Amino acid sequence: MEKEEKNKSIGKGIDRIDGILKITGKATYATDYPAKNMAFAVLFKSTIAAGRITSIDAEAAKKSPGVLTVITHENAPKLNVKGGLRGGALLQGPEILFYGQHIGLVVAETFEQATAASHLIKVTYQQEAHQKTDFEHEAKTPVMPKGKELQDFVKGGGKAAVKTAEVTLEAQYETPIEHHHPMEPHSTVAIWEGDHVTLYNGSQIINGAQTAAAATLNLKPEQVRIVSPYIGGGFGSKGGQWANLVLCAVAAKVVKRPVKLALSRQQMFNSVGLRQRNIQKITLGATKDGKLNTLAHETISHTAINDEYIEPCGDCSKIMYDAPNALISYRSVPMHVILPTYTRGPGKSTGSFALESAMDELAHKLRMDPIDLRIKNEPKEDPSNGKPWSSRTTVQCLKEGAKAFGWEKRKMEPGVNKIGDDLVGYGVACGTYPARQRDSSAAVKLSLKNGQVFATVEIAASDLGTGTNTILAQTAADGLGIPVSQITMNIGDSSLPPAAGSVGSVGASSFANAVNDACTKITDELLAKSGKQFFVRPTARELMISENIAAFQIRSDSKAPVDADQYSCHSFNANFAEVRINSVTGMIKVTRFLAVTGAGKILNPKTARSQIIGGNVWGIGMALSEESIIDPRYGNFATRSFADYHVPSNLDVGKLDAMFINEIDLVPNKMGVKGIGEVGIVGVAAAIANAVFNATGKRIRNLPITPDKILV
Amino acid sequence: MLVIIERQPTIAFFSFQLINMKQKRTALSPEEQKLFGDLMPEELEEVLDSGLHRRHFLKLMSLATAGLLASHLIGAEQLFARAADIDDIQDLIPGAIENGVNLSFNVNSKATKVLVDSRMTLLDTLRERIGLTGSKKGCDHGQCGACTVIVDGNRVLSCLTLAATCEGKSVITIEGLAKGNELNPMQAAFLKHDGFQCGYCTPGQICSAVALMKEAKEGQASFVTKDIRAQQQGILLTDEEISERMSGNICRCGAYPNIVAAIKEAQTGKSVEQNWLFVG
Amino acid sequence: MNPFKFSMAQNQSQAVNMLVSNNSAALLGGGTNLLDLMKEHVAAPTELIDITRLELKTIEKNALGISLGALAKNTDTANHPIIRSDYPLLSKAILAGASAQIRNMATNGGNLLQRTRCSYFYDIAMPCNKREPGSGCAAMEGFNRMHAIFGWSDQCVAVYPSDMAVALSALRASVRVLQQDGSSRNIAFDDFHILPGQHPEKDNSLKHGELITSIEIPENKLAAHSAYVKVRDRNSYAFALVSVAAGLALEGARIGDAHISMGGVAHKPWRALKAEAFLKGKTASTANFRAAAKAEMAAAKPLSHNKFKVEMGINSITNALEMALKG
Repeated sequence: MEKEEKNKSIGKGIDRIDGILKITGKATYATDYPAKNMAFAVLFKSTIAAGRITSIDAEAAKKSPGVLTVITHENAPKLNVKGGLRGGALLQGPEILFYGQHIGLVVAETFEQATAASHLIKVTYQQEAHQKTDFEHEAKTPVMPKGKELQDFVKGGGKAAVKTAEVTLEAQYETPIEHHHPMEPHSTVAIWEGDHVTLYNGSQIINGAQTAAAATLNLKPEQVRIVSPYIGGGFGSKGGQWANLVLCAVAAKVVKRPVKLALSRQQMFNSVGLRQRNIQKITLGATKDGKLNTLAHETISHTAINDEYIEPCGDCSKIMYDAPNALISYRSVPMHVILPTYTRGPGKSTGSFALESAMDELAHKLRMDPIDLRIKNEPKEDPSNGKPWSSRTTVQCLKEGAKAFGWEKRKMEPGVNKIGDDLVGYGVACGTYPARQRDSSAAVKLSLKNGQVFATVEIAASDLGTGTNTILAQTAADGLGIPVSQITMNIGDSSLPPAAGSVGSVGASSFANAVNDACTKITDELLAKSGKQFFVRPTARELMISENIAAFQIRSDSKAPVDADQYSCHSFNANFAEVRINSVTGMIKVTRFLAVTGAGKILNPKTARSQIIGGNVWGIGMALSEESIIDPRYGNFATRSFADYHVPSNLDVGKLDAMFINEIDLVPNKMGVKGIGEVGIVGVAAAIANAVFNATGKRIRNLPITPDKILV
Repeated sequence: MLVIIERQPTIAFFSFQLINMKQKRTALSPEEQKLFGDLMPEELEEVLDSGLHRRHFLKLMSLATAGLLASHLIGAEQLFARAADIDDIQDLIPGAIENGVNLSFNVNSKATKVLVDSRMTLLDTLRERIGLTGSKKGCDHGQCGACTVIVDGNRVLSCLTLAATCEGKSVITIEGLAKGNELNPMQAAFLKHDGFQCGYCTPGQICSAVALMKEAKEGQASFVTKDIRAQQQGILLTDEEISERMSGNICRCGAYPNIVAAIKEAQTGKSVEQNWLFVG
Repeated sequence: MNPFKFSMAQNQSQAVNMLVSNNSAALLGGGTNLLDLMKEHVAAPTELIDITRLELKTIEKNALGISLGALAKNTDTANHPIIRSDYPLLSKAILAGASAQIRNMATNGGNLLQRTRCSYFYDIAMPCNKREPGSGCAAMEGFNRMHAIFGWSDQCVAVYPSDMAVALSALRASVRVLQQDGSSRNIAFDDFHILPGQHPEKDNSLKHGELITSIEIPENKLAAHSAYVKVRDRNSYAFALVSVAAGLALEGARIGDAHISMGGVAHKPWRALKAEAFLKGKTASTANFRAAAKAEMAAAKPLSHNKFKVEMGINSITNALEMALKG
């Protein structure tokens, strides 16, 4: 296989083509764009969770040196609150629906002046009698969610069938609020020219940001341009856009100057969504030899008081194992908390923690190897809808992973593997994520100069560190027959041909297929133009040279294959964790981790590996340290900075290995790309929690597993 | 079967998004000269005479989008590596500065004078006044390391440093790490080992790692140093030592293992292999 | 940040005079905590007096032990050859704190003057008696997992965050201070930081107009047998849940003297006096270490979210003593 692809760029682990800009400090993120006469905006936020503003005294702020204006609901222009931005907080009225809702912004000559003035604003509120900020309390009376996909899914006899099982397991798992916290806080530079505005703004979905901003500002999409060539991480929080994007444009319009608006790290906690807290109850019924007969996964999640987003925690349970009787259910708890949103591996990462912990618990109960239990319940077809798999690599991932990781060294009995004060444990867990392709368009422009063919590829795709620039240049190189070094990538701009977003693992498949189709189309058209017949299909490069064409360009529009939805298409993985736990202090380190992933064609193994280990690091954070706490008395976060909210540090991460299954699956899309951004986190927390159990004999069902939980 | 794919020789190309790069009177290398001679022959003389200016880069950018720059990569890479010129202080209107402090210091080996508000941090001064936007604001409270720069040889957090305290000091930022047209070996190692994804924490990571080399040379200890009492210079850092010493730089994309590999390679000068595995 | 005047002090007496002449002025050393607090609007001095150019950076041996300049950087202190060989406990504790970048900036004097990291203290929308006397304590009935188990009052349950100071407490250091009238005074380390009592707004016994000039540490007989244990929520760059600085002066198998101080448990470095007293003269054994730890922790008064600190404290003291014994 390697031999065949010797002359291909796809599949090679080349360095990122934009890496040189990143290592020299020259990659331009939103706030790096200079503008003459820039003014600075700073947001200020509500300090109650529910109620209304009765007055805002901004006089002192307005008189403060350098202040250009103060914008609140009292003087903000009318915006379309249903324009597609998430989370409200658009300064359209006095109502307060969550703590930290934006209630105004100060615009000043400098950042220092705007910040100082924002502290001079005096706000009085009328608080609502019953603010819903106590999850424990509100979760006692959850409601049925509205979403169609969140209605009860019942198969066979549902949960009740567990009564007929020989062995049962019932356990409740809890995951806390987590924040995306990309290193680049959400930031925008807005520059108006007449009635058109350019918004420099990190956006995972370029065209989505454009249409939402335009609709909210009551403009036509073509009046708004989003520029986002580099994005300092997003992880879902820069998928749907939030109020700050449009409020920056509003500020720039009011002061008639370019305006820069960057959220502070503290403001990131309640401005751009979050992963909500979930309570998940898993019920498993099985025979004594480990064949599942019942699988129930019941989730309670909170959402905003006036809007619904529930992450689909039951998704893995729908398809991972073959159980004739199943129940997947969701209940919702509306709260005065910012709208939750897509967060890396939405639903699957947290849901797999519950399901895969429960499978580990069941295996222990049955005295079975957890790998054997999983293989025993491997479904031949998608158990949720009976569709055939386009391909499924779970068993292969488990077997290859076990071999490479040294699974045989795992002690069946927990708590017996000791090195000095340290306890060592091994854990395994599986994961999955859907493989999809979304509509995208791309343009390819070829030129001939001094006998060399150069290409420019244009697509409103985004690269938030995923490697989009690089894999698309590789795709074009193979599609056109020219080296990567002769390709210029032009992405991250809404004025380019429209594309899907870097969300839900659809980026690589949607973008790469669009570029590949465009390369095919331009070759076809050059062939037609030549009017010649060839034995062997020539490349676009060869045609440009042989026909001596100075310049040629096309645009093409791509869609997912029509028959893809006849199949169940997913990436799969198996995760292996080794933890070392100091039994005296309770401190945990993931010393080794191996993720084996079957995700179809791997376009660039270097960037793919980085994506996978990046997902693993997220999973380490989820398992061991990330937790945000709402103080129910106020509705604010008691964890309000990076000192309180612990994302993993370098020392928290041991040796990480990524292994890929060589897999050709052309059902989901022509290029056989399944996507890896999300699946990398799925199953990770469970593998670590299972390793913690194996090391200590302690089953910890509420994340994160901090030292106190080990000791007590 | 287990197939280990060897690292392939790489070819880098980049989309030009170059803003704020101010070069002046910097001699062009032969490659760069060829670059300008080929692409912008009418401006070559001016460039050689008065140095590179932002308008030259803007023109390069427009040429790049036409796909023309690609064949001149070597020259272009050198241009990127180069320290940015910093004689383009952004002046503010008088009312925009309170408690002004006249600051003279050295930024990337260039004497710099700027009038700053006493509240202005070194980070904001670099980014908003001097046009060096490589250093990043990740938390503005000393909790992430994205703003790390090197002041008088030591890595510090520019978000917790008032510009006013930098009088007479020497500041090196990511833009000033390369020597002439040559990348710092740490930069090259980060590229090879993919020591980043989104790239936002990268300037801070690399500045931190460069200063770490000096600390290791001096024999500084860390919390994971086995015997704190035993003292020696020129320590060869283990993976654990690198991790602990780099823990002040948060990378949310999770490139930590790659960062450790890059630093190891830069320290030892020996190639550290980065493998990805394929099975089946 | 509110606007402030930036001044630079050329010498110690000038610094003190500048400070005395403005009640809302503050001294600026490394600034790693002060700037953080100013950005959060927790601190709003009208003048910052940059003292980093003062000659208070030397670390030198003297007849009684060693003197650490107040403005010597944490990094330079931790790596000073004499500190590493004769006061390894101090090196280790400094290196356990913050990050390399922050240690490069932070001064020794400033480290002692760090304020609590209680998130309610940092959030100006929350009641906090330390920030705004009389406004109440949000942490008392709130999220107090990180908070005190010893010495708290009905006004404040915050903990003092420094690692370095925990070692200095165990090393029986003192703080040398230049007073307004130009004379100096020495403050025993135990008296430097204070418990919250009815005045949690005060962290220490320093008066406005005083300047820390040095930290004096007596000769250390514990160098061969000392250890610093820090338990935290991630492996690096996090404040302590519990930390222990321990040193043993051994007379054969018996303990001549034990020095034990704790971090992350009180409004100041907590001297484990009961454990120290228990161990004096006893055999250096795990059983005795554990018994001493239990004796100390028996008096703990945990809050709603930090009961775990009692068990963690017992383990950590025991572990630190075992490590100290091993040397």
